Amino acid sequence: MYRNLTIRQKQIVWAWAFLAIPVLFYTVIRFYPTGNAILISFQNWNLLGSRTWAGLENYEKLWNDPVFWKVFQNTFVYLLLGTPISLVLSFIIAYHLDKLRFMHGFLRMLYFLPFMTSAVAMAWVWRWFYQDVPIGLFNNILAGFGIPQIKFLQSTTNALPAVLAPAVWAGLGFQVIIFMAGLRAIPTSYYEAAKIDGVGWWTVLTQITIPLLRPTIVFIVVFSSIGFLRIFDHVFNMTTNNPGGPLNATKPLVLMIYDTAFNGFDMGYAAAQTVVLFTILLIVSLIQLRLLRST
Amino acid sequence: MANLALRRLTKSYGTTEVLHGISLDVADGEFVVLVGPSGCGKSTTLRMIAGLEETTSGIIEIGGREVNNLEPKERDIAMVFQNYAIYPHMSVKKNIAFGLRSSKMPKADKEKRILEVASILDMVPLLDRKPNALSGGQRQRVAIGRAMVRDPAVFLFDEPLSNLDAQLRTQMRLEIKKLHQRVGNTIIFVTHDQVEAMTMADRIVIMKDGYIQQVGTPAEVFHKPANTFVARFIGAPSMNLLDGIWDGETITLAGDQKVRVPALQTAAGSKVLLGARADDLKAGNPNTVLSGKVMLREPLGSETLIYVDTASGEIIAKADGRTPPQVGDAVTLGADPENIHVFDAKTGEALT
Repeated sequence: MYRNLTIRQKQIVWAWAFLAIPVLFYTVIRFYPTGNAILISFQNWNLLGSRTWAGLENYEKLWNDPVFWKVFQNTFVYLLLGTPISLVLSFIIAYHLDKLRFMHGFLRMLYFLPFMTSAVAMAWVWRWFYQDVPIGLFNNILAGFGIPQIKFLQSTTNALPAVLAPAVWAGLGFQVIIFMAGLRAIPTSYYEAAKIDGVGWWTVLTQITIPLLRPTIVFIVVFSSIGFLRIFDHVFNMTTNNPGGPLNATKPLVLMIYDTAFNGFDMGYAAAQTVVLFTILLIVSLIQLRLLRST
Repeated sequence: MANLALRRLTKSYGTTEVLHGISLDVADGEFVVLVGPSGCGKSTTLRMIAGLEETTSGIIEIGGREVNNLEPKERDIAMVFQNYAIYPHMSVKKNIAFGLRSSKMPKADKEKRILEVASILDMVPLLDRKPNALSGGQRQRVAIGRAMVRDPAVFLFDEPLSNLDAQLRTQMRLEIKKLHQRVGNTIIFVTHDQVEAMTMADRIVIMKDGYIQQVGTPAEVFHKPANTFVARFIGAPSMNLLDGIWDGETITLAGDQKVRVPALQTAAGSKVLLGARADDLKAGNPNTVLSGKVMLREPLGSETLIYVDTASGEIIAKADGRTPPQVGDAVTLGADPENIHVFDAKTGEALT
């Protein structure tokens, strides 16, 4: 029977044969749980009892929950600070590292190392950095210059940036590597032509390098935005005594979901929050792709 | 004046010297082609003139001014690259304007200049297009436009035609030559294709392994090759070269074939190479007779190349395109004495 098919039909048969495993995987591991989560968000369930229909109750509760709005705001602060800072930093590092020949491989490895390190270990090291004198590194240095101590993790204004810093630092290595690959892909003759035309380095950077890096930038922005919107492990490990504290100042959406689900056992409410997070991720990614792909 | 001079130019990468003291004078408005196989140093020489590579030793002069330590932009040159180096995110107009970006010309003058260049190159209707909406030949013209807009003293072309298909290459060859006649700037053109060199150049510089082999007009390098390398490199098919021994009066080829040639500047008994081009070997010519059997034919339309196995070695000759000899036919070929070249077998230098 297979013999009698046309070449095109045979290709289709093979394509589906190869697609079967990912299709099965996505259905069981991705689509089914996603659908189930959306379903649970309209129900009440405490993990053990039976599910009862709740309609839009969970979403109403969310809308009227001041903690949710605080958490919502925190999540966007992580995104709006984290993405541009890590983008600019990683570009500056990659731009200069690309020009460096001396110990190039070693330096690249150093930048990449934090990306491979466990977030938990990193968070605890940074937590130690932030302690008061005589334990904390930063406050010891500040004290050495006679500057008063800074409450990094205990202040509601300082805590979020203090938690964000290691998260940015951890992601840099990966972004630097991607940027360097993008820089390498630009033909040298573009730069040579610019050199002969006698334009300055700023013009080369803004008119040639950055426009040609556009696909790389799109990738990094989308990728790191998703990362910052889903931030959890750094926050959780740096504020273990009072996760998301002080006073919910560092609590991101994922941590709230975790809290609601596994401390409050309010699965329906947690599912509603998850659906909101999912929607935010989808919208932000779509907007970014649109904005950065146009022209 | 925009003449160009290279004086004992060398280039080393680490301990490896790749250019061994090149000297060349190019007159104002001259079209000079550097030609040679890959790795001969022709592109390196061009990039040194452009200022993209530093000179190890020697002097480069443009318009009578030493430019060794000047930045590329200060050398009054423009360059067209093999891959065109036109920016994919800019329109044709912006690409051409990029050549004027650092110039202090008023904006209106720049605009006028861009239009002028675009009209010379027939690109006015394409000015708002992006490079990916252009054909290979059009992209090539944008690259030339960006160079022209600056009105440089010297144009440098680095194998600009090698990314084009054969037909387009022939067409662009003509266009560049016409352009040169029209604008009259000095041009240094690098290629590995001897046909490009022959058809475009006022003078050809043939290079090999970092040395200049010969400098001359296309006719000179074709008819009076300085050595066996030039003899083989210029002209298609390659010149026939047969081993022989000079006895003071004649050259004895393998198979005891004797060829009478004018007196040579070499001792009797030395080994020589006897050269004759396929075009000059004709059936029925009574001089320098070589005979053998046709092994292979390559019909080219107007003529047919025949590969003949003679007692003195295999040779290529040209036969009539309409009635060529058949494979296996016996042929007798001869060439006039003035079309016979003799080279020293050891050094390869011409002896005639």
